[in-house]
Amino acid sequence: MTILHPVTGSESQTLLDAIGLTKRYGGQVALNAIDFSIAPGELVAVIGENGAGKSTFAKILSGAVRPDAGGLRVHGKPIELNAPRDALRHGISYIPQELAYLPNLTVAENLVVGRWPNRGGLTTRGRIHAEARRIAARFGIELDIGAQIAQLRLAERQLVEIVKALARDVSVIVLDEPTASLTSDESDNLFHVLRGLAQEGVGVIFISHRLDEVFDLADRIVVLRNGDVVANLEAAKATSQEVIAHMLGAAAEEYYERRDRQTRDGTVALALRNWTRIGLPNIVNFTLTLHRGEVLGLFGPRGCGADLIADGLAGRISDFVGEIELAGQARPIFRSTREARAAGLGYVPPERKREGLVMALPVQTNLTLHVLSSVSRFGWINRVRERRIAEEWRDRLQIRLRSVRQPVESLSGGNQQKVLLGSRLLSKPRVLVLNEPTRGVDVGARAEIHRYLRNEADAGAAILWVTSDAEEAVLVSDRLLVMRDGAIVGELSGPAMTQTNALMLATKEAA
Amino acid sequence: MTGIEGSPSPKRVTKLRHALSPAAVLGQASHLLGIGGFYLAIIAYFAFAAPFFFTSTNAVNILSNVSVIGVVAIGQALVLIAGGFDLSVSGLVPLGGVTYTVAINDDLGIPEATAVAILGGVLVGILNGFIITKVGINPLVTTLGMLSITGGLAFTISDGVTIPLENVNAAPLGEEFAGMPLYVWTLITLSVIAFLVLRYTVYGRMLYALGGNREASRLAGMRVDLLTISVYAASGACAAFAGVMIVHQLLAGAPAVGGDAALESITAVILGGASLTGGAGGIPGTMIGVLIIGTIANGLALMQVPTFYQDIATGVLLLLAVTFGQLRVLFGRRTTRVLAGMTAGAGQARARWRRRSGTNS
Repeated sequence: MTILHPVTGSESQTLLDAIGLTKRYGGQVALNAIDFSIAPGELVAVIGENGAGKSTFAKILSGAVRPDAGGLRVHGKPIELNAPRDALRHGISYIPQELAYLPNLTVAENLVVGRWPNRGGLTTRGRIHAEARRIAARFGIELDIGAQIAQLRLAERQLVEIVKALARDVSVIVLDEPTASLTSDESDNLFHVLRGLAQEGVGVIFISHRLDEVFDLADRIVVLRNGDVVANLEAAKATSQEVIAHMLGAAAEEYYERRDRQTRDGTVALALRNWTRIGLPNIVNFTLTLHRGEVLGLFGPRGCGADLIADGLAGRISDFVGEIELAGQARPIFRSTREARAAGLGYVPPERKREGLVMALPVQTNLTLHVLSSVSRFGWINRVRERRIAEEWRDRLQIRLRSVRQPVESLSGGNQQKVLLGSRLLSKPRVLVLNEPTRGVDVGARAEIHRYLRNEADAGAAILWVTSDAEEAVLVSDRLLVMRDGAIVGELSGPAMTQTNALMLATKEAA
Repeated sequence: MTGIEGSPSPKRVTKLRHALSPAAVLGQASHLLGIGGFYLAIIAYFAFAAPFFFTSTNAVNILSNVSVIGVVAIGQALVLIAGGFDLSVSGLVPLGGVTYTVAINDDLGIPEATAVAILGGVLVGILNGFIITKVGINPLVTTLGMLSITGGLAFTISDGVTIPLENVNAAPLGEEFAGMPLYVWTLITLSVIAFLVLRYTVYGRMLYALGGNREASRLAGMRVDLLTISVYAASGACAAFAGVMIVHQLLAGAPAVGGDAALESITAVILGGASLTGGAGGIPGTMIGVLIIGTIANGLALMQVPTFYQDIATGVLLLLAVTFGQLRVLFGRRTTRVLAGMTAGAGQARARWRRRSGTNS
């Protein structure tokens, strides 16, 4: 049973209530009977770590996902959402992280799409523009009505999306991490618009994992953790320590006992010097050093640029400028994934289905995909040898399966991830770069992956571990670099390496 | 055989039960059986309905008739497995035939004339692959354009008429060996080679990986563009050589023959278990697919059904094959893609049955 904190603001007249919302995915509980309500003109931030249930909550409000139990009320009346159009009909508008717009049409056409102003089925450009201007003016938002969407910056597209939502007599607007790819100026502009909306009486639900902006914007902060509402705080009275403590729960102050890490022999396995790339975010003179026998964590919220560093190391992004030193040798930055692999760099991509594995092919084929030359002679594959290698790695990584010949897609997520990891380890890389290696992996498999990589490091491997999960970052790293907006904002090690410190660094402008 | 390790958690038990359910087991092993059964049903039907169908002479007839499209289908299978498809074969078959005929009539030797024809096919294929990978135009538009170009070239070279082969001895593949024309043996040889390449070589493995997941293949260090170009080149070579085989049959280069190669070869490969998204399919299934098309055409002809009904039949087959593929995806636990596993490891079905009986007993 979830304890509902007293709802601040106008309790008598709520705009939207969620009662006992529950959602399970397989055995995993994404939302555990949560209660939520928002009053007219209120700005509520929903915050939590990755996997806390924020996005599921937003998607239920949008009508895209149906809850397993519980219900929604608008103005006290129960409603049922079977599809996004139902949510729109009840005045709930959802702005997803991935915007859905028609890139080749103009701003005006996008604003009125689906509700074209017409007379007897005929619509004209003039009529569309007039309607679009009317909508934008009503909320005091300036837009170049005639511009093509594809020509706009992301922030402007987002505004178009918001205005489009508002055009539909919206009473509640739900934004899923809208600032993830905005600059701080653009974010400020967005907040300005959102405050204006709140003054008009619209309820704003704002999903985020950035503490500073939450305090900037919200009247109230709802903290989710593992599918439960664990706090419902008035923003003016709350502190960031308090919110972080709620986000992390009991784990917040836990100090992970680390063994004496003397295995690290001080040899530099990999060094990046002055890596620079203009983009989102800008990365300027990024530098790091990774030693043999070390797990170096690179932690930061999504969009902080840590994943770009990993992609750059894998040779997937070729516009980095800077220097690289690998095994004592200075060399240019990799221009292709082939080059990176040839230099002995193993890369575990974040999305195993899209980038890592060939799902329909057998486990054994996936395991040897990177080392085909070692299981073949003159281009002919030695299937006996291949199978023996696959079974050896199945045992090493404790991959649970019936046969190494079954397709990868028939394995559980955790076991798929182990296959992915194995396929990279098989080529015996000098440096292993992991990009979110345990995303979508169950707790048990996650612990096994952590343990295995720990042992690899203790045996002398050099591992760069990129993650946006604070718990994991603190758990696995010998040394932890915290990133924010394209730059390293702090280095933690020893007893100072706690989730609280990591999150504070990652979310505060100056810590 | 690998057993089941460790004590299964409750979650794993359900998973295993699901994986071992008849639907799943049959689904995975069934495609070749299913398509084979379908073929047997067709044979059974015509054996009763069509006069002179069930004779050895007619069997050789069917094989002779499918040998050209079979060779085209081998190349097409490589392309579909690697995640593309090739319409230009419909232009390359006549172009190959016309080129060969003109070359022979210009007093080139058989090997040289064959080489010239195949080289033309390879060049067109490389161009296809280059446009698709480097320019970034999709396979449909690219190969459709190339179809028009190559088909037009065939007519240009032949001045729009069928050119007789002046040297009748330049068609040795029409001779018989062990009761079958040599071009049937050619198809058999080529399909065995393609089967071995797909199943046992690094190259074959890379094609399945490429079609199954291009990005993962790129990250695995494969030259994905080069691989893509290579399958179009192979398909071009197969199509041009199929055109040469027609000349061996007709003793003439006909620019108007072979226009149905794209439709029939794609139908055959899809019937054989390939998916339009790539990563699946194989030569045994493709050959059964080719036989199904040829047998239906033959049976209908023996029943004196007008030939244009055969076109209708082929179109229906294609749509049925794709529909069944979709149904398998919807109901059969994504079994189309599992076919990749079957062709990549043909012992799988056997192993699965063994495993299954082992678990049940």
